[in-house]
Amino acid sequence: MLQPIASLLTMGSGMNLLYLLIVVPLLLSLLCLILPRTQETLKGLLFLLSIFFNLVLSLGLFVAQDTTVLIPWAGFGMNLAIRVYAFSRFAILAAGCAFFLVGLYSLCFIKGKSYQGGFICFYLLLMSFANGVFLANNLVMLLFFWEAIMLVVFGMLLLIKRPKPRTAVKAIILNAIADFLLLLGIAITYSLSGSLMMDVISGLPVEGAGVVGFLCMMLGAVGKAGAVPFHSWIPDAADDAPLPFMAILPGVLEKLLGIYLLFRVCVDFYALQPGSVMSQLVMWIGALTLFFGIAMALIQNDIKRMLAFSAVGQVGYMVLGIGTALPVGIVGAVFHMLNHAMYKSSLFLAAGAVEKATGTTDLRKIGGLGRRMPITGCSFLLAGFAFVGFPGFNAFFSKDLIFDAALQTNVIFYIIALLGVFGTAASFLKVMHAAFFGPLRLPQGIQREEVREVPLCMLLPMFILAAGCLLFGLFNRLPLGVIQPLLGERLAGVEYAGWPHSMLLVLISIVCLLLAVGNHILAYRYTGSALKSVDHFRYIPGVRQLYDAAEKHYLDPYNLFLSLVKIYALVCSCFDRMINWIYDVLLVKMVSFLATNFHDFSDGSTNRYLVWTFSGLGFLAVLFLLLI
Amino acid sequence: MSASLATLVYAFIGLPLIAIVLLNLPNRKFAEKLCIGTGLFVCIVQMATAVIAVLLLIEFNKASMSFSQFWDMHVADDAAYFSVDFLSAVCLFCIGMVGAVSFAAAGSTVRDKILNYTNMMMVLLLGMNGIALVTDLFSVYVFLEISGIASFLLIALYRDPVGLEGAFKYLVMSAIASAFILLGSGLLFLEFGSLRFVVLEEMLQAGVYNNPPLVWLALFFLVAGFAIKSGNMPFHGWLPDAQTGAPSPVSIMLSGIVEQMSGTYATMRLIDIFLLNKFTVVNIGMMLLALLSIVLGAIAAVGQTDFKRTLAYSSISQIGYIVLGISCGTVLGYVGAVLHFFNHSTFKSTLFANAAAVKNQLHSTHYDDLGGLQKQMPIAAATSVIAGLSTAGLPPFAGFWSKLLIIIAVWQTQGAFVASVALLASIFTLAYFLRIQHKVFFGPEKQRPAVKEPKDGIAIASIALSVVTIGFGILFPVLLLALQTQGVL
Repeated sequence: MLQPIASLLTMGSGMNLLYLLIVVPLLLSLLCLILPRTQETLKGLLFLLSIFFNLVLSLGLFVAQDTTVLIPWAGFGMNLAIRVYAFSRFAILAAGCAFFLVGLYSLCFIKGKSYQGGFICFYLLLMSFANGVFLANNLVMLLFFWEAIMLVVFGMLLLIKRPKPRTAVKAIILNAIADFLLLLGIAITYSLSGSLMMDVISGLPVEGAGVVGFLCMMLGAVGKAGAVPFHSWIPDAADDAPLPFMAILPGVLEKLLGIYLLFRVCVDFYALQPGSVMSQLVMWIGALTLFFGIAMALIQNDIKRMLAFSAVGQVGYMVLGIGTALPVGIVGAVFHMLNHAMYKSSLFLAAGAVEKATGTTDLRKIGGLGRRMPITGCSFLLAGFAFVGFPGFNAFFSKDLIFDAALQTNVIFYIIALLGVFGTAASFLKVMHAAFFGPLRLPQGIQREEVREVPLCMLLPMFILAAGCLLFGLFNRLPLGVIQPLLGERLAGVEYAGWPHSMLLVLISIVCLLLAVGNHILAYRYTGSALKSVDHFRYIPGVRQLYDAAEKHYLDPYNLFLSLVKIYALVCSCFDRMINWIYDVLLVKMVSFLATNFHDFSDGSTNRYLVWTFSGLGFLAVLFLLLI
Repeated sequence: MSASLATLVYAFIGLPLIAIVLLNLPNRKFAEKLCIGTGLFVCIVQMATAVIAVLLLIEFNKASMSFSQFWDMHVADDAAYFSVDFLSAVCLFCIGMVGAVSFAAAGSTVRDKILNYTNMMMVLLLGMNGIALVTDLFSVYVFLEISGIASFLLIALYRDPVGLEGAFKYLVMSAIASAFILLGSGLLFLEFGSLRFVVLEEMLQAGVYNNPPLVWLALFFLVAGFAIKSGNMPFHGWLPDAQTGAPSPVSIMLSGIVEQMSGTYATMRLIDIFLLNKFTVVNIGMMLLALLSIVLGAIAAVGQTDFKRTLAYSSISQIGYIVLGISCGTVLGYVGAVLHFFNHSTFKSTLFANAAAVKNQLHSTHYDDLGGLQKQMPIAAATSVIAGLSTAGLPPFAGFWSKLLIIIAVWQTQGAFVASVALLASIFTLAYFLRIQHKVFFGPEKQRPAVKEPKDGIAIASIALSVVTIGFGILFPVLLLALQTQGVL
């Protein structure tokens, strides 16, 4: 059934229909922008049509053969070049499914909200630009769409009106730094390889200028993915942005984009060697992100914030996996990217359902919702099993591959990864327990009867995604069959699908999970509150101070950066004031002093003038005598 | 050619003389009605003749044209008494232009003394034309005295205390200057046996002089004398008092042309003759005097509290630029100086004409009495802005180009430091100009009886001069190209 669409898409060599993936959402978005505010229903229909169209096209593209299209554009190697190959097919399909499901959900979620029109417009723009990134075969074209996504993020964060758009500014500054590094990296890569075509650049050595080029491009990629130190706007966005934004961007798209580019940089453009310094560096970035994100997720008392921090943490796994530069790690990372997109968007959507029903996601105000919202709870639990890496679910397999790679490189990364498993499980158990089990607690002013299950169009996407987690776990041959060919010959014919090879690793992971469960049960017994189940970690001397500092944003790299900026601004302002003072005060005083004195001196006395004249003559005479 | 040459001489020397005679023949009442018209006629004819002279020079492809007496045109070039070259043609044009502005302003400002004013103006024009035309140093001295005496009488036209004081100071200083110039000329005559420019130039080029100290001494006296005449610092004492005390039309003459003709023009001739790269000390001395004038003149102008007095100090500063250009001793500096000579005549006449208009309306030029005149006197305000920006050397006005040429020439010959000082002084120029504009035309209106713009010669002259300033500024590249094709640059 899809084959006709596929052949239609890749037909011809010059102007074929691949551009539809970019152009149609873009045009529809602009149409939504110019439609009047009263036409919300029409906009909704257009939106639905667009995401469905996108899904069909991406499905069609998935079965299409490899194609490259090149339209000369600005010269200097900057062309509108499109390439359809394994990874772009895979990524566009993954993104297309996510766009469709989250779009369906958000159509119900945003109904009647003030930002409805803007959200639809930005969502379609995002879809167009994301497809652009995945299709781009030219680094400049890639950069264009990359930056455009940054602007869409900025716009989405401004949708909910705040007196001061701090989060949006923070997001754009952090993203802009990362994107600037990417631009720098692209320039260096271009000078090294002599081409901007992404299928031409390959296997550049990571040495000399290549180190800088690799580093810049790598930081640009992980910056978009939201790794340390570019992460800190994501938890803030959880408070400030519409919830579907969290599900689609930090949940799905940023990981897809970031890991896609990181994969291209580490595997295609540069020949990253396992165990090299750069590889270690990428792994350390991953490990730090992992540790920091999960440690912060552990202490959150708000579902959205917990999910946002854990979204940061999970990126750590993917960066760690690719950083190993081992086939097993890379396959694991890409697989984890897919899994994370599924379970994290499902979890975010469930959190959105809770917010829709009760008006908040703060666990200090709500609790025991499981009976009132059984399907949401069920889907949250299902996705949560994937989230913690429960055996049989998809993330279990992907994490296992990453663990394998980490252990092959250095045992320290493995230990950090295991700590991550424990932390993830503990934080999930805490949130799950507090939100859905136990006696019902509701915020003031909301009656028990008002809290009911959300409509089907919201339930369906989250449930499909959660069920997909189980499906991709039980039949992991399905996704891995697509992912493994990405590596081509490097794979050397090894098969990662099926049950993990090493029973030991599985056992250790299971022990970690059991430890988390045990910790939860004991702590719940002891404190009597699910929310306090991890407080004994929170208040360990030493750790406590670190947590306090982190809570106050002292450890936020953005704030450190801002304080540097402030110091710089102070220096500049002092300098500026000094210059101003010279112009406004010193010069004026000097001139008026001179002028007044001169004025007083020329008092109109002829004698005095004569004295001047003769002293002038004397001066001239002396000059003549001296210089002759 | 000979016939047209005779016309030139009659226009420059004969016309003022004839005008004096004709004006004093009829009875006084009738003559007074004719004064302004006659003056304007003489000046405009002079301007036209100067243009014709330039065209003739270009037509016959000669650097200069000489004629010995009115009645005899068939004399060898080097024996001629009068001569016109490009420099004197520019000067003669400027004299005519500033004279015309002065007469235009006199129409409404000089009432009962108009006949005396016109007579003396004719003598002044005659004197200055003579300075521009003559070919020997002694004749320069003679015509200098003629124009000087006319100036004293004009400054003290009303016999009022300020006028008399100004005239007295000018007289005292001029006496010193005259003595020095005469002394310098005498010493040169002692050495060379002739004072003709051509002879001096030849002998200096051949190196035929036995007594170098005598030449040095002569140069010292000449430089000092002309510096007093052109009002360079520190010889400027007479200048602000004379210009402030003089009636408005006389101020226009003094500041616009008299200082330049009696001091700066003669200096240019000296430089021409003495090939000053042989006598570097003269260059350095002039450069120092010029810098002193530029900087101190501008600073002093900032501190003034009187419109005309500010303009007087501004003249000191601007003439400093001209002298600075001359002191370079290069063609570029020379051309820059000549152009700035012309520009200074235009913009300073504009400003003084506006000061005359203001004084005519308010009977004061003190800042305390002025302010907020923009609404009532829009023409004066607007033309002042143009003239002021030209003074400060802002593109695209004419003053920018001449200052640019001077500063480039200074940079080439005397180094970056002197050039930067000269350039930085332009900021003060802008400062005092803004101060004028702020205190006189902008700002809140003051309580005073209603004033209005006099719709008379002053306004027309201001507008015409502003048009010249802007037009010259815009067409300057064309002019420069023409100069280049003519081989001047």
